[in-house]
Formats: sequence, C-alpha cells, structure tokens
Amino acid sequence: MSDFQELIKSFPKTREYVRDFFVYGFKNRNEFKGKSPRTYDNERRRLESWLSPYVRKDYTPKGFNISLAIDSNLLDTNPLFQVWKTKSFTDNDIVLHFLILNILIKHKSMSIEDITDTLLTEYESFFDVQTVRRKCNTYVKEGLLQKEKKGKTVLFSLDTSLALWLKSNENIKDALSFFQMAGNFGIMGNHLLEHLDWENHIFRVKHSFFVHTLEDEVLYAILNSIKGKTSVKLELKSSKTKAKNTADCIPLQIFTSTRSGRRFLCAYIRKSRRFTCYRLDTIQSLIPLEKAEDYDTILDKLNKNRQKLWGVSFQNDSRNHLDKLTMTLHVKEPSENYILDRLDREGRGGSVTKIRENIYKYETEVFDCNEMLPWIRTFIGRIVSLECTDKSVEARFYQDLNVMCQMYQISETQ
Amino acid sequence: MELFSEIYSCYFKVLRHILCSQNELTIQDIHNQISREGFEESLLSIIPKLESGAWNLFEKKGEIYISKISSDFIAPLSHLEKSYLKALLNDPRIKLFLNKKELEYLNHILFPISPLWKQEDFYYYDQFTGGDPYEDENYQNNFHLLVEGQKSKEFLNIDYTSPKGNRVHHYYVPLSLEYSVKNNKFRLLAVRKTGHGNMELQILNLDRIKSISHTGKFCTNPISLNEMIHNSYYKEPLTLHIKNQRNTLERAMLHFANYEKNTTKIDENTYECLIYYNQGMETELLIEVMSFGPMITVVGNDKFLYSLKKRLKRQLSLS
Repeated sequence: MSDFQELIKSFPKTREYVRDFFVYGFKNRNEFKGKSPRTYDNERRRLESWLSPYVRKDYTPKGFNISLAIDSNLLDTNPLFQVWKTKSFTDNDIVLHFLILNILIKHKSMSIEDITDTLLTEYESFFDVQTVRRKCNTYVKEGLLQKEKKGKTVLFSLDTSLALWLKSNENIKDALSFFQMAGNFGIMGNHLLEHLDWENHIFRVKHSFFVHTLEDEVLYAILNSIKGKTSVKLELKSSKTKAKNTADCIPLQIFTSTRSGRRFLCAYIRKSRRFTCYRLDTIQSLIPLEKAEDYDTILDKLNKNRQKLWGVSFQNDSRNHLDKLTMTLHVKEPSENYILDRLDREGRGGSVTKIRENIYKYETEVFDCNEMLPWIRTFIGRIVSLECTDKSVEARFYQDLNVMCQMYQISETQ
Repeated sequence: MELFSEIYSCYFKVLRHILCSQNELTIQDIHNQISREGFEESLLSIIPKLESGAWNLFEKKGEIYISKISSDFIAPLSHLEKSYLKALLNDPRIKLFLNKKELEYLNHILFPISPLWKQEDFYYYDQFTGGDPYEDENYQNNFHLLVEGQKSKEFLNIDYTSPKGNRVHHYYVPLSLEYSVKNNKFRLLAVRKTGHGNMELQILNLDRIKSISHTGKFCTNPISLNEMIHNSYYKEPLTLHIKNQRNTLERAMLHFANYEKNTTKIDENTYECLIYYNQGMETELLIEVMSFGPMITVVGNDKFLYSLKKRLKRQLSLS
C-alpha cells in the first residue's frame, strides 16, 4: 500500500463507502460487492484515519467487521463533517494560499507583478506570474479576494473585517455552534466555526441524522437550479438494485423527514405531467437544462397539492384521486389526554372528534394512505377500528397486527 | 464555488494553527500539533513536506522552525460562507442568539449576497406542530440566560411548570441545550443537587420555563454529561431482529441512526441490532419499533418485550 493517500480528489466515490459503513455498520470485506479487495482496503484505511475516534472494530466468524459508533445524543458536532475536509491539493496550492493572503493582509492592495516580487523578496518563494495570477483569480471566484482595475493596472485586495467581527462576537459563534448541528448545510457552519477557532460545547441535537451531510453537494446543485428556475437532467442510482437511470424534471422544493432525516427532491415531470419525489441519496449528479418559463405556476400547483400529501407520494394504488382514512381510538380521559395532543401535533391537519366518553375519531383525506401505516401502528393498543377507502390499507394493518400477535404468541384468550 | 474545496481542508486548518503560533517550534512540537488536530495518518504526509521545504512556509534555523506568517493571520470569508450566513438570517431561531443591532449589522454587510437557501425551499412534512415560540421575548431571554449559565456553570433559579401542570422551583446548573428537529423544541439538560448532596440529571422543556434568575453561586466540580447519559442507559440493550424485506433494513438503520447501536448479520436475511437507551427514551423507542410492524422482532430485553406485548394484548381486546 505504498501509494496510499489520506486525501482524495473527488467526493462522490467516497460518499458511498461512508454511507455503507455508517448506515449499515456491519459490512465486512466480502460483502462489498463490485469493488476489488484492494479498493476496499484503501477506502477502509482512509475512513479509519479520518474518523478514528468513532471507528469500532468487531471480529465475527465471517471476518473483520468495521462500523461507526455514533450516538448523536452524546456529540457536539457531526463526525462525518471530517469527510468534507479531505480534498487533496498541490504543494503550490497550500504555499500560495498562506503567502498571498498574508501579503495582502499587510499590503492592502497589490498587482500580480508586485505580489510575485514580494513572494520572492520577502518569502524566498519563486513563482512565475502566471501561477500567481491563476491562484488570485481562483480566489476572486471563491470570494476570498477582490479585483479592481486602476488605470491599466489590475489590483487584488482582501477584506477581513467581517471575519474579525465574527471572531469577536460570541453570540454569532453560539449561533453557528447550534446551526452546524441543526440546520441545513451544517458543514458550512462547521467550516465557519473552525475559521473562527470556536467549538460547540452547548448544543446537541436529539433527532439528528448525521449521514445526510453526504448529500449536500447534490443539494447545493439542486438549490442552484431552484434559484435559477431551470429544468435539470438527474442521473439516478437505485439504492436497492444499483440500477442507473436518468430523469428530466423541474426541481421545486426539498422535502425533509424529521424522523429519518431523509431528504427528497420534489420535482415536476413535464412529460407525464406529475409531481414526483426523488431521494437525494439516489441522485448521483444533475445537469442543468433550459429555464422553465412557467415555473411559478407549477410551484403554485405544488403548494395546493401539498395539503393532501401525507409524506412524499402523490398517488395511490386504489386509483382514487384521494383516499379517506378514519381511525377510532380509545383514550382514557383525562389520564391519556396526551394521546389527543399527539393526534393534534402529529396528525397533519386531520380532524379529531369526540364520539362518546373515552372514544375519539381521527379523520383525514390524503393522496396515499399507505404512507400513514407506520404512524397508525404507533397507536396499537388504542385502535378501536380502522377504515380506509383504500381497502388494501385496512387489510395490511390487520394482517400485520395478526402476524405481530403470532410472533409474540398473544391470543385473545390471554 | 465548491463545497468540497481544499480551503476548508483539515490540513489547511492544522497548518494555520502551527503557522500562527509564532513560537520557535521543534519538529516534535509540530508533530504534537498535527497529532492533536489532524487525521490519524496526517503526520505521514505533512512532516516530509515541511522537512523537505516543499511547503516553504517556515524559516529553518538549525532544528528550529519559525513561521513566515503573521500571528494575526485570518482568512476573509468565502462567498459560500457569506451565503450560508445570509441564509441563517432568515431563520426564526437566529433571534435566540443575535440582538437587533447585530442582526442589522449582518443584514447590512451581507446585503449584496444571495442566501445559500431560502426557508421556503425546504418543507418538513412530518414535523410536529406546536414548536417553541422563538419570537417570544420571555423565551428569548430565558434562552440567553441558559446559554450564559452553561458557560459560567452558575446555579440558576428556574421556575418551571411540569407536564402535569405542577409548578416546580429549583436551582439547576445548565449542561446542554438539546434541540429536536421532529418536535421543533428545545430541552434543557441540567443537574440539580439532591437531598443527599449528589448531582441528578434533569430534563426540562424550555417552553415550560416561566422565569430564570441568577443565584451568584457556581458549580466548581467537573461534570461529564456524556458519562451521566451513558450511566443512565439500561445494562441490557434493546435487541432487535430485522428482516431485510420491504427495504426494512435500510429504513431501520436510518430510523435508529441517532441511537448508539451495533448491528450484525445473523443469517442470510436477518440482522441483529442492539440499541442502547435509557428510561427517558423508552416510550419513544417503543413507538418507533411498533411503527415497523412485523418487519422488526423484539428479542429482548424483557422489560421492553413486556411493554410491547402489553400494547398488543390491549389492542386485541379492543378490536
């Protein structure tokens, strides 16, 4: 393994490995199909190096098992942010980064020729003008430097006033400590915290799903398309079958589950005139296409349709436009009134009516009642009856209940 | 603008800290700094670059390394960093942290910047309603006092209404503020002294706190929150058997990703997952397990199994 490198050039390849280790946390060398043992060994070594405090090794009869032991209740940051800090670079990149910024902090504004001279005279570093110009122009694009023309001379400068203000302000550092854990693009909050040499010791996030940071590169590209109101071609890879596919669509909004952390792109497919959701972890990349002139009209339509969504499915198996679900519950009053609170907080607009003492009815109308089943099961022990215009939903609930009773050997006579 | 860029890399951060330290450094000092802040194998890559002079950022005098960079070196913010900050200014929770003047300054300085995202770009379809009142001034003040108290380790006098409606009044040292995305609520993890003089971990919902006042008394003993949480876990974890049908395995692994857990394959189609939890997590975990129906089998512990069976028996008696 003499050619082993700790840093990497591109993110997508590693994204899949980290996901497999983190999400599944049980795959051994033989279970990583489609990859050579050498590739597996290198990727594993990298992950162990980046995430060493969280790597757990177990020896099983089938081989060596590595997984990530991460309990979000106990952590001040997302350990998987480390994966974002692994981009490889050249010797020139790192030297020019520190020297150019240092020169411009001292000298305010300078031409490329002057910067190149200063590199040689003050820092004993010889670079040709072209290399210095390329780096400065890249940093203008990144926002680190400003460029302005004075007469015939192009001058480069930088402004650290915002960085210095942030560094002196504890309130904003506390805010970043929180948002890096609990907000979108937490990795950017984490970069800023590191930039300001500050660490979070106050905030934790209870329902935090660290693995989803790996989708942020795709998310960034999607948000750019939403901003530009453009159509895109998505390149998709099924998480189950690994089959590849493409889809042309208009990205509209990101749907997020707070229970699993999963994020979906909700998009409009012009060809079939339907809204569809794609899981972000199945999107490999996207190619921007033409501007969608009727973007706002489509977005309005989505906002209207969203009221009848339970989760992310816009259609059901019953061929009804909408299905109605009625769940009657036994709620002992007043000691179990928290169940009524749950229906109110979790019922997504469904109505709750008192039928008689201790008996309540919850009713709602949505596109796909199948999506409601996991939530309905959380009321097991209180469900007096369940009715749905999609009969398969009713059938599945009672079938599953029977299977569970058999599994745990529970019969009516007990 | 790239999210995955070397300007945010671990190596750049480690080097910045070494370069700004301004001390005359030996190679051993540099070793120690890299070991503390770098990845496990970063030493192998960084040290040869410094020794060979390929990264010509130090002046070398014999065995001593002297930085060529000023000690007040700070990089300006990138477009992405500014764009991220701008997006945060539109989040209602930012008012928990920044006062009016600070918000005005940032809004002014970031005026030409486009936010990385807008609030309406995201839709949290299963977030519970009834989140905390972030706009409420009393709530904001309480939040501030708790953040300050956490830093100074001060015993705070907290007046609280319990879920059963009782008024509770105690002295607490704030340890952590925990946010739940699902509930859109904050909870305070704090300790208070028991009658026996021991410290006891308590969890309070922020929106139930009526008032907070200073006591001027501070906790001097070190307290490890993680140790307290770890110690609160049941000795016997919850043991689940997961069948890999209807994509259950992936769903379960994501669903339980926020618990400390260990998963192993036990036969061709079944996986065993051990989940570590405490009494406070028990009801929520039971509900989450039930939501999977028969695709997940609870094998142990006995206490959890008993609770699950009790619910099923009650269900049979109703239907």
